[in-house]
Amino acid sequence: MSSPCRRLERLAAAALAAALLAGCQRETRDFHGPPPPSGPQASGVSPSDLAAGGGPIGPPHDPRAAIYEDNAFHIGEGKRYYDWYNCYGCHAAGGGDIGPPLMDDQWIYGGSIEQIHASIVEGRPNGMPSFRNKIPDDQVWEIAAYIRSMGGNVAKDAAPSRGDELQSSLAKTQVKPTPAKPAAPTDQPR
Amino acid sequence: MDRRVWPAGRTASAFALVVLALAACSRNAPPPGPAKPPAATPTGAVAPAAASPDDDGQWTMPAKDYANTRYSGLDQINTGNVKGLQVAFTVSTETLKGQESAVLAVGDTLYFVTPYPNNLYAIDLEKPGGAVKWKYQPKPDAAAQGEACCQPINRGPVYSNGVIYYNTIDAWTHAVDAKTGQLKWKVKVGDFHKGETTNMAPIVVKDHVIVGNSGAEFGVRGWIAALNAGDGSLAWRAYSTGPDKDVLIDPAVFKPFYPQYKGTDLGVSHWRGEQWKIGGGTVWGWISYDPELDLIFHGTSNPAPWNHEARPGDNNWTEGIFARDPETGKAHWFYQYSPHGLWDHSSVNENIILDLPWQGRTRHVVVHPERNGYIYVIDRTSGELLAADPFMKVTASLGVDMKTGKLIDNPEKRPTEGKVVREVCPNSPGAKDWNPSAFSKQTGLLYVPHNNLCMDWETKPVSYLAGTPYIGVNPRFYPADPGKGGEFMAWDPVARKKVWTIDEKWPVWSGAVATAGGLVFYGNLEGWFKAVDARTGQVLWQFKTASGIVGQPTTWRGPDGRQYVSVLSGIGGWAGAMVSSQLDPRDATAAKGFGNMSADLKKESAIGGMLYVFALPKA
Amino acid sequence: MRRAAAWLAMGMAGLALAACSGAQDSLNPAGDQAAHTQDVWRLMLIVCGAMYVLVMAFLGWALWRARRALDGPPLEDAVKSSADAPMRNALVGWTALIILGLGVLAVGSFLVDRSLARADTKDALHIKITGNQWWWQVEYQDPDPSRQFTTANELHLPANRPAILELAAQDVIHSFWIPNLAGKEDLIPGRTNWLTLNPRRIGVYRGQCAEFCGLQHAQMALDATVEDPQAFEAWRQAQLKPAPPPSNDAQVRGQGVFINGACGSCHEIAGSDAHGRTGPDLTHLASRRKLAAGALPVGRDGLIAWLHDPQAIKPGNHMPLVHMSDQDLNDLVAYLQSLS
Repeated sequence: MSSPCRRLERLAAAALAAALLAGCQRETRDFHGPPPPSGPQASGVSPSDLAAGGGPIGPPHDPRAAIYEDNAFHIGEGKRYYDWYNCYGCHAAGGGDIGPPLMDDQWIYGGSIEQIHASIVEGRPNGMPSFRNKIPDDQVWEIAAYIRSMGGNVAKDAAPSRGDELQSSLAKTQVKPTPAKPAAPTDQPR
Repeated sequence: MDRRVWPAGRTASAFALVVLALAACSRNAPPPGPAKPPAATPTGAVAPAAASPDDDGQWTMPAKDYANTRYSGLDQINTGNVKGLQVAFTVSTETLKGQESAVLAVGDTLYFVTPYPNNLYAIDLEKPGGAVKWKYQPKPDAAAQGEACCQPINRGPVYSNGVIYYNTIDAWTHAVDAKTGQLKWKVKVGDFHKGETTNMAPIVVKDHVIVGNSGAEFGVRGWIAALNAGDGSLAWRAYSTGPDKDVLIDPAVFKPFYPQYKGTDLGVSHWRGEQWKIGGGTVWGWISYDPELDLIFHGTSNPAPWNHEARPGDNNWTEGIFARDPETGKAHWFYQYSPHGLWDHSSVNENIILDLPWQGRTRHVVVHPERNGYIYVIDRTSGELLAADPFMKVTASLGVDMKTGKLIDNPEKRPTEGKVVREVCPNSPGAKDWNPSAFSKQTGLLYVPHNNLCMDWETKPVSYLAGTPYIGVNPRFYPADPGKGGEFMAWDPVARKKVWTIDEKWPVWSGAVATAGGLVFYGNLEGWFKAVDARTGQVLWQFKTASGIVGQPTTWRGPDGRQYVSVLSGIGGWAGAMVSSQLDPRDATAAKGFGNMSADLKKESAIGGMLYVFALPKA
Repeated sequence: MRRAAAWLAMGMAGLALAACSGAQDSLNPAGDQAAHTQDVWRLMLIVCGAMYVLVMAFLGWALWRARRALDGPPLEDAVKSSADAPMRNALVGWTALIILGLGVLAVGSFLVDRSLARADTKDALHIKITGNQWWWQVEYQDPDPSRQFTTANELHLPANRPAILELAAQDVIHSFWIPNLAGKEDLIPGRTNWLTLNPRRIGVYRGQCAEFCGLQHAQMALDATVEDPQAFEAWRQAQLKPAPPPSNDAQVRGQGVFINGACGSCHEIAGSDAHGRTGPDLTHLASRRKLAAGALPVGRDGLIAWLHDPQAIKPGNHMPLVHMSDQDLNDLVAYLQSLS
């Protein structure tokens, strides 16, 4: 083998090694979750984006949203807690049952992570129970992040792949993202 | 007021009458022959006249009569002219979830109940076009919708002595004046905050309104209760789990046929720890009544949770049938279809009271198409099992041991946490769910609308969080045969075999009604309402309603003397939730497993809520 | 200097060996299975040790002989010489010895295998053990369901009564290992493994997960108490009872914190309204020795440390940090300590 060729080979190997090592950069796992922001943002999330006197104002933005939504560990934990706190009992694996589906793009009470978080904590009038104090807040955020992943609304590299359980629905990495939007008008509470 | 002295002779004869009446109550003596023996049928099966009197053209309780025959003696509409059947009028129910209510016809008024918000409609038959006479709005708590396992449906009202009784989803029983629509009384019978709802149709027996609860999917402890018809006060309540005093088991009265039901407090000792307190066994199905034996018969639902590893033991008294005294509630006998139920096979289906020729003599029985796939014939005087014959492919069990009465579970299908068990037939709604069968006094056959479904089943640990589902299973349903998710069949209860069948693509979730016109009516999930020749199974007439049919057809004589057939159209309930709750079929476990097979149903059926009344054209 | 190093090495070895005579020691058998394993270990030590000594002796002799041969005739001639006949015999003997040694080992391990497989299971206790990240669920089975109960991270066994363990896993592969009682057996999701124990010697032993199972694999221990049958029966009767009701104001408030807060969503306390099943059963928590799968001692200090921040003690475990006031924490601990 000629020497320039060998040099090229070495270079390629070094580049490959560098690329592989870059892959070692591990996502941080924050077991305590980010601290709640100070100020009024933490409460008063509206399920609606309609505001009298102009708008739309949209739901209040919570700085923790991105921390949970873009983090594979938090979403993975959310998947676990979704089962543990019986969410699947009413919403199945996202297809819905007693409660509405969570994997489609119809959101009765808003589909942003802040609104989903609020729906879990506050409950909703047509049968969604309030989980206030029953699930630690950190875990509610993780569940909300996982619910966002059901409709393909989180980063693909953070979405959980297929689980070990009975393969009932698409891997979250394969779900086509649909923009979160408020529900189409329906006269029926779902 | 004149005071009369009772002559001694009259006292003696009164005494003799009492003795006679008591003799009639004795369980061991065969009941005395009815005053007018029912007409013989080709199969030999007859419905005793005491529990199934001759037709008066009305329809006052969802099951038609105490025997639960759903048979009408009307024959204006018959095999010869049914082709001309057409819509007489329609009424909107103004609701869009499963319309499972029966339509009652009392005098000149129709009554039905909508799903949540459980409005009670009275339709004036004297006026043209289905005019609403009044509408009673109970305004149940909206939050209760989230506590109903399979949509906030209602199975109908019952009429007795000028009053309509019915249940609302938030666990209240209402008594409404049938003439005016004014509330007479309402009582809270359960607490929906922990998942206890009521959607069953009550039955009125001797001034008692008998109701039961739903919610075994939420870890509710099941019960049946009798309310005094006058004011709704509680006469008795019998739980399906727990100590004997709660279950109303009195060893002096309770004489089960099989030894495994004898003992003290089996409703506690056949459970682990205090699991029985959240152990299900709700009573949400049909109740029949035999006036001669003076016994009511009712089933108990599945134990909670579905994940059976959380509740070792036989789980008494779930998934079985009780015979009870309607006055005191005391249990007379019990039989358990599925000890330690594995598959949510609630045993609340109808128990049709029949007298069958059996090995040379007449046996007084209840016939019960059970979710686990067998049609049971049980001696209603003693609780002895006479027959259990499969009516669809069964892999979940290997049969029923006729000696011990015990179901033999298939060890290959026994679920374990973390494992997927495949090809379990029938699936959890069972070979047949709540939607009731009919018995024709003309043909002597049973007409059974039922499912033909199997499933994969994965068990997982589940926590009990009051007010949230308590299930612990991922199920996935599919038809047992390609393209055949349901079947409508005629069953000979004496020869114990199918006479004819009609294949349906989807599970048949509507009730059936049989008539003296040689017809049977039922509907399917696509929305076709069908009239079938009761002898041959030939479909003679069908009409496509706007939505799927999950209701209970009834037939009655209008004030104009003509025969009408009525049914609610409006898909929903467990099998139809995929459509009317707009669920996502990309998830196989949506609607507890129906998601796997229902993508097409969403295209073939549509959401709706409408009463249809059919009649022959005016001559 | 060299002597000092030798002493140091000996001292270290002594220290290491001292750790062997403890509650987690496969050379200190307290049950038949561990004894069998020790038998086969000893047999291997003797056979292999003898072989090792022989090989070493032979090597020494060969070296000595080779050095002598350098002075003698060329090697080719030596091979041919008649003086090497004993060498051939020795080689034949050596081969025979290897075959014999392997034979002894094979027969020995076969016999041990057999005796492990034929463990006495008469009147056995049946216990289901489920591995979770990172704790053990222990369910005492019984044909009579009302005699079944659940506990966590502890195993009580009556001496001289066999116990059949049904081993399952909820999430990932774990391995069940109480060295003093038996060898390892894996717990595999979706599969059931079985292990029989015949505990003989009374004592408290420590078991541990022996298959890497995630962040807190190291802190996934359990206590195995082998006790006399009367003591076991007393323990079992106590476990079968629901938790005692709270007996003072602090405990009543603590129970309220438990049930109305997040605790009851995951933990069960029989006799109360807390029926969670995803975390360890806490019905008789105060009767246990350890908390959080061996991470802390049960007791006020341990409980407070754990509840104050479980993520600081076992980072990544599924017990969340539940924020509560000091008053609530104190009441909760008072209640938990009453769960004897």
